[in-house]
Amino acid sequence: MTSDNDRRRGLLARLRGRPVARSRGRRRLGAAVRLAAALMLAGGAYTVFAPGVQAQDNPPLSAAANEGKALFDVSCVTCHGRNAQGVEGRGPSLIGVGSASVEFQVSSGRMPMARQEAQAMRKPPQFTDEQVRQLGQYIQELGGGPQVPQGNNLHENADMAAGGELFRINCSQCHAFGGGGGALSSGKYAPSLRPASDRQIYAAMLSGPQNMPVFGDNQITPEQKADIIAYIQETLKHDQDQGGFNLGRYGPSTEGLAIFLVGIVALVFTSLWIAGKS
Amino acid sequence: MKRRKFDAAALPAKTAGALDDRFQAATPLRKLLNKVFPDHWSFLLGEIALFSFIVLLLTGVFLTFFFEPAMTEVVYDGSYAPLRGTPMSAAYASSLDLSFDVRGGLIMRQMHHWAALLFMASIVVHMLRVFFTGAFRKPRETNWIIGSLLFWVGFLAGFTGYSLPDDGLSGTGLRIASGIILSIPVIGSWVSSSIFGGEFPGTIIISRFFIAHVLLIPGLLVALISVHLGLVFKQKHTQWPGPGRTNENVVGERMFPRYALKQGGFFMVVFGVIALMGGLFQINPIWYFGPYEAWVVSAASQPDWYVMFLDGSTRLMPAWEISIPLGDGYVIPPLFWPTVVLPGILVGLSTMYPFLEARRLKDYKHHNLLQRPRDAPARTAVGAMAVSFYVVLTLSGGNDVIADKFHISLNAMTWAGRIGLLVVPPLAYYVAYRLCLGLQQHDREVLAHGVETGIIKRLPDGRFVEVHQPLTPTDGHDGHGPALDYVGWVVPKKMNRLGALGPAIRGFFYPIEKPAEAPVSPGHPPVEPRPEREEIGSGERR
Amino acid sequence: MSTHTEHQAQRGPEPLDVNDPRLSRFEIVEEGARRDDIEIVHYEPQVVPGSKAERRLTRTVAAMFLLTGAAATAFLVIYIWWPWKWEAGRGGDKYYTPLLGATLGIALLGIGFGILTWGKKLLPKEVSIQDRHDQPGSPEDRKITGETMLYMADELGVKRRPLLGVSLLAGLVPVGAVVAAPLVGGLISQPHKNNQMFTTGFAPAEGGKRIRLIREDGRPIRPADVSVGGQLTVFPGIEGGVSNKHADSPTLLIHLREDDAQKSRAANARKGHGDYMWGNYVAFSKICTHAGCPASLYEQQTNRLLCPCHQSQFLITDNAKPVFGPANRPLPQLPIEVDEEGFFVARSDYTETIGPDFWERP
Repeated sequence: MTSDNDRRRGLLARLRGRPVARSRGRRRLGAAVRLAAALMLAGGAYTVFAPGVQAQDNPPLSAAANEGKALFDVSCVTCHGRNAQGVEGRGPSLIGVGSASVEFQVSSGRMPMARQEAQAMRKPPQFTDEQVRQLGQYIQELGGGPQVPQGNNLHENADMAAGGELFRINCSQCHAFGGGGGALSSGKYAPSLRPASDRQIYAAMLSGPQNMPVFGDNQITPEQKADIIAYIQETLKHDQDQGGFNLGRYGPSTEGLAIFLVGIVALVFTSLWIAGKS
Repeated sequence: MKRRKFDAAALPAKTAGALDDRFQAATPLRKLLNKVFPDHWSFLLGEIALFSFIVLLLTGVFLTFFFEPAMTEVVYDGSYAPLRGTPMSAAYASSLDLSFDVRGGLIMRQMHHWAALLFMASIVVHMLRVFFTGAFRKPRETNWIIGSLLFWVGFLAGFTGYSLPDDGLSGTGLRIASGIILSIPVIGSWVSSSIFGGEFPGTIIISRFFIAHVLLIPGLLVALISVHLGLVFKQKHTQWPGPGRTNENVVGERMFPRYALKQGGFFMVVFGVIALMGGLFQINPIWYFGPYEAWVVSAASQPDWYVMFLDGSTRLMPAWEISIPLGDGYVIPPLFWPTVVLPGILVGLSTMYPFLEARRLKDYKHHNLLQRPRDAPARTAVGAMAVSFYVVLTLSGGNDVIADKFHISLNAMTWAGRIGLLVVPPLAYYVAYRLCLGLQQHDREVLAHGVETGIIKRLPDGRFVEVHQPLTPTDGHDGHGPALDYVGWVVPKKMNRLGALGPAIRGFFYPIEKPAEAPVSPGHPPVEPRPEREEIGSGERR
Repeated sequence: MSTHTEHQAQRGPEPLDVNDPRLSRFEIVEEGARRDDIEIVHYEPQVVPGSKAERRLTRTVAAMFLLTGAAATAFLVIYIWWPWKWEAGRGGDKYYTPLLGATLGIALLGIGFGILTWGKKLLPKEVSIQDRHDQPGSPEDRKITGETMLYMADELGVKRRPLLGVSLLAGLVPVGAVVAAPLVGGLISQPHKNNQMFTTGFAPAEGGKRIRLIREDGRPIRPADVSVGGQLTVFPGIEGGVSNKHADSPTLLIHLREDDAQKSRAANARKGHGDYMWGNYVAFSKICTHAGCPASLYEQQTNRLLCPCHQSQFLITDNAKPVFGPANRPLPQLPIEVDEEGFFVARSDYTETIGPDFWERP
């Protein structure tokens, strides 16, 4: 309940903060465009003279992709390299990962990464939805790859029960029955699904970010993906717990903690009072 | 014939007389009403277990009316939409019905589960009280053994009950249990296939667990609890040392009415706490776990807390396999040691402890007076060692949750547990031992020199000393009275314990009047007024 | 303590005549206690009857009892009229159980603390001392009881007629066995019937027909169904393959990346499992070799497979060798290939034993 409120509050803050972010973004964009233009000039000159294989294969970019490229060249190029070809030891090539991957990583704030670590953490996103779309478009046009369908609500008219069954076979082993996430080997972890949006869940399944396996459309069809999203959003997140406060849905660990911290403590204090000399 | 006049006032006496004519109840009843029980808060911990057991019986009977212990496959068609149309066992479906389609069924289920956790928790806490105060010594060794057995029988009751709903989480637990049984050398596979009626999971285990959970194990629990209480009654409760208390008497209140009122009230409080927890805190939400399927599992799969120490020991155990190169080759898998051998050792050690200690101390006398933990440093230290061992194992049983929530590497948690299991218990032994000695020393110091008053005095030669208030009238020139003997009970360490501050004014917001000064009913013995208190000075002669 | 001495002084050594009309009821109670070796050494009323303190405490206790009545009534009202049927989302039904718990809890706590306050504050305080009498029986009594028991043995004459004892024993032992026989005989079950501990649902059917790998909904699987870096839980395509009847058959089909696949192939070759993979696809048992949980937390970049129950970690690219935790044995690998119709099949059954270890696993 509280986490939901937080989320809502966070959303409001983000909404309110948006104009500021955008103006700053635009300013940065302007600088980026200028920089990009300079780079492109230099690059163009370079490609004319150098026998570049990649450059010749690239079809012309769309307007959105060009915007995306500008953003990329400012924020991502350090680790992912020029034309998203990757930098050894810093970041992988993004050719062929598709807009789904970009959307997941950037809209959840995992990218750009603050520093190199075992696993990128969810953070407040640095780009607006529009910018994420442009970045995605750029990567998509560079090398193709999976894409998330249009729309923000991807689970309309989906079957929760079927989604539940799929969730338990494919997702719960890492993200837990309650969707709260869990530990993986050596400091890695499966994140909680609570802050994830429909599009992010969809994108994660399609692209298999970090250590998550890929669940392509042949394995889990788009309809089944919608079912899973419906189960996560409607049952695990929106549905209030039937039996009272859920103790964080950690299962028996917190239940054991509760029986000592609440039950035993209350009753020991009662017995102290009963036997106390007044 | 003349009709006898009905005299209502004489009726109780007449009935009582008639009853005594037939059952000779007057004398034993008087003895019962008069039995004296000592009063201390720690003596009420065992009652929590007893009362939660009663709640378990009450709620459990309710649950049996609706639970169907069968593994026949059905398709769920109840109120809970996210599972509708899912094939599942009848046991799981009826547990869902209990949660969603029986009015008030969910709170009964949750109260039953919380009561089970409370039952086990209070058994452990009660056991610690008995251990650390030496209440298990002769003549109460039998009751200590019964108590330890109660923990293990309760453990079985909990595990069988936890498995009954046949949900995804408990099924995983059952799968591990089958693995544990399989790991027993020589007979493992035979025992497992006999219990499960073939290969895991089979189709009969839920019905077998059901009859064990609702008849055999509760029967055993009732029998053991009756003997446990009977022995407490027969051997009379232990008591703390103190004024007027000896090894040969019991100082306290008679059973009726005060003691019985307290017990009755406390039962209601235990029941109330279970009801509050059952309603306000969700426990074991089986509808998220889905039906048990051998290929479904969740991150953070844990058993209930009292099984968690075994899960922890299993997680910490290195992968040491013993293979025996005879014939086709035989193996003792690593699972065997932490789950079969370790509990075996624990049962043996805990039940035998009273005899081991008596042997070590060559102490074969009757002990009806308790010992403060500080007065038996070796025992307290052993206890601290055992507790820390258990805690490390229990924490390791939830190490993936800890790793996830506190952003620690899972592998590091396992290693911390492995090292901790070896390092922490001896450390706990040492620290507890030193603490006991320190506390003992302070007690003796206060008895010899008096209570610290917080008053600092400057001596003519310029030294500063703190003034101590001796506990006895002073005689010598140095302000010390004769040294007092330690009698195994609390030594006052603060001035207000000596009455230096006078009685507190009673009442929360405004003072209420003082207690009676004189006897009021002719039956009551006279009460003397409080003796005047003397002002406490610096401890020197005035 | 002062009352103590005073009372002792009052009381004579003779038992009181309880029929003496001058005696108060308390004195009779005291006499009864004395007969049970109990001495009431301290008895002090806590409140003066009719005093403000008494009225206050009485009111408190009464308020608690009335609170119980109100809470219990509220419980009934909620139980009967509150909307309690499950509905999706956040509605009144989610508060049904908490409200029942709160009202029931308050009702029980009210009566509990009411009784406790009554007993603790309103009743006179007492300190009684009872003798324990936990001395063992007198040596004389012990002797008499011991002799009586020995005499019983004499009467039975087992010593003089040893045949009786031996034959009784000989008769009783089989009777004991008769009691145990139906239980043991009924429950015991041969674990190696049909070689069940060493076979799975993937064992080729009659005539050597290879078993297909299917999904949980029964569809067979084409290689294209699993993306690179993807995993899929597969089952034997037989009757009851996707059910707990074949609890040891669930298998994890993994599509490795090219370089990982090469490592895996090399590892396979080292183990003599050269042809177990098909293309870049591997299939390992999902049932952990440690305690039998589904080991299925597949990390597609590190190629580790984690078991959530006891944290055993298996390295998929090295024949699923255990690299961390308590598991001692690699996950068995299923040899797979693709049949004429383009679906995955098992070339044969597993060649190693599935699931937790046991004594006679070869």
